Amino acid sequence: MSGASDLQFLVTRKFSARGPWFYVGECLIWLLLFSIAAFELLPICWLFSTSLRAAKDTYRLPPDFLPTAWHWSNYLAVLTSTKVNFVLFFFNSLKLALIAVGAQLLTCSLAAYAFSRLRFPGRDFIFLLFLASMMIPGQVTVIPRFVIIRTFGLIDTHWALILPGLTSAFGVFMLRQHFLSLPSELADAAKVDGAGFFRTYWQIMLPLVGPGLSTLGVFTFLASWNSFFEPMLFLRDWNLYTLPFGLVMLAGLHEEGSQPQILAGVMMSILPLLVVFLLAQSFVIKGVTVTGLKR
Amino acid sequence: MSSSGLAAVRHRGLSDRAQEGLAGYLMSLPALLTLTTFILVPIVASLVLVFMDYPLLTPPVWAGLGNLRHLFLDKRLWLCYWNTLYLTTSIMILNNVVGLLLAMGVNRTMPRLIRYFLRSSLFFPVLTTTSSLALVWSFLLTKDRGVVNWLIGQVGLAPVPWLSRLPWARYSVILFDLWRGCGFSMVLYLAGLQGIPEGLYEAAKIDGANRWQLTRHITLPLITPTLFFCAVMGSIASFQMFDGPFVMTGGGPGDTTRTISMYIYEIAFQRFQMGYASAIAVLLLVFLLILTVIQFRLADRWVHYE
Repeated sequence: MSGASDLQFLVTRKFSARGPWFYVGECLIWLLLFSIAAFELLPICWLFSTSLRAAKDTYRLPPDFLPTAWHWSNYLAVLTSTKVNFVLFFFNSLKLALIAVGAQLLTCSLAAYAFSRLRFPGRDFIFLLFLASMMIPGQVTVIPRFVIIRTFGLIDTHWALILPGLTSAFGVFMLRQHFLSLPSELADAAKVDGAGFFRTYWQIMLPLVGPGLSTLGVFTFLASWNSFFEPMLFLRDWNLYTLPFGLVMLAGLHEEGSQPQILAGVMMSILPLLVVFLLAQSFVIKGVTVTGLKR
Repeated sequence: MSSSGLAAVRHRGLSDRAQEGLAGYLMSLPALLTLTTFILVPIVASLVLVFMDYPLLTPPVWAGLGNLRHLFLDKRLWLCYWNTLYLTTSIMILNNVVGLLLAMGVNRTMPRLIRYFLRSSLFFPVLTTTSSLALVWSFLLTKDRGVVNWLIGQVGLAPVPWLSRLPWARYSVILFDLWRGCGFSMVLYLAGLQGIPEGLYEAAKIDGANRWQLTRHITLPLITPTLFFCAVMGSIASFQMFDGPFVMTGGGPGDTTRTISMYIYEIAFQRFQMGYASAIAVLLLVFLLILTVIQFRLADRWVHYE
């Protein structure tokens, strides 16, 4: 419904088409859009503003949606507190997320390249296994997975979180689509020039699926950073906790005046997501619409 | 595997086909190994565990159909199914209606900055950590001195026990999921809307259709593929809801906001009844399969691809 056709619409009508109902409709639509946008933003504004309040003012009403106090000391307290250990949680989460991104970009692109460009017996069957595994709800695999990790003695280590996350069927599927869209003449030309399979993959094909890699990277980072269930399941040592789980544990401690600190912690945990979002917004939104899969 | 290495292999007599096969296996090996260990083997193990008693500290013991019998008699499980169905249906309906309305609203002509602002503010919550924002919402929804109740009080209504009483506890879970998820539906519907040819609208306008008729006869039928996709994917995802209700209500008053996933967690990792928990999980899998098949069958009636 572009502006140009609206104008045409007006001009081709012989009598006034924009009755008062049109304007009422317009007002309602804009009202709807902005009020829902406000609804989405307000909790985050409250989060930010309350995290800046003095501890004794935590529960004072009326609530702030815009900051009225500027107690950055709350943030400092969270960062330096010995009990809270926020920085450790942050770096645990960051480390796990970066490892997941690196591992998945590598394993998924290798497998996707193999499935799309190489022929070997059982190739399609194996790819079908990957596809089918995407349909299985996580709850079905989590119990035996716990047993397997326990058997290897990896409970309460970060390996319990790293190893299952080394690959993702979603990543393999998506990158295979990208590889398939590259012209096959490229591979032929590389072969003529004497490049082996791995070299073709590394130097020619991989750079060309950059957008796919970026999308997968962003999704993997988000999924790892936001995961709550797996850390809760596998981690026992306080020092190994990741951010989302750590924050919930802290909130459960119900200490006096700790709410602004917890909110400061939440705020700081969202900050990397905000950065990722602003930098990679086009990737994320395009990736979501093209693949339609939530991570 | 540099080209010189392969050249050496070539001299040793491995055919091109064999080389390609070898490369294929080697390249897909890391992913395949991880998939097998952490997904394929667990799936098979789950199916086996359904028929076992496995308290984790002692080895599994054959239990025949005992777990299956327990499934049918477990009242708490059926309550969890009812909760999950109720929550999923409400969330699906609200999410998709609101998402579609937002997409239709954002799809119009407007200054780029406003569109950027709207799209960002509506989509950003989707990326946030569910558990952390559920924590924030549980603060907002506390009965005494909570922000939402304060706002309600400004309008003159009594404070509501959002997290501690029915039906409010369920509404809270739904509200949170709607807050977090409508941006996601919006983005999917936006893509769907942009796939509708402009020419259809123009032709209809020339024939004198008003905005409501345009929506009803062009937009809605042609958005049904996206709707179908959202319905299938959304219901599968919603049915496995865990983080939100776990952090906000912990299962709600009694068991009334306990989802199936939360129940599996409790049975497996707090009661250590691995066999029974596997039975519940496999039942969930079967349920979702049947649900998806039903949705696909019904799709022929209401999804227009043309």
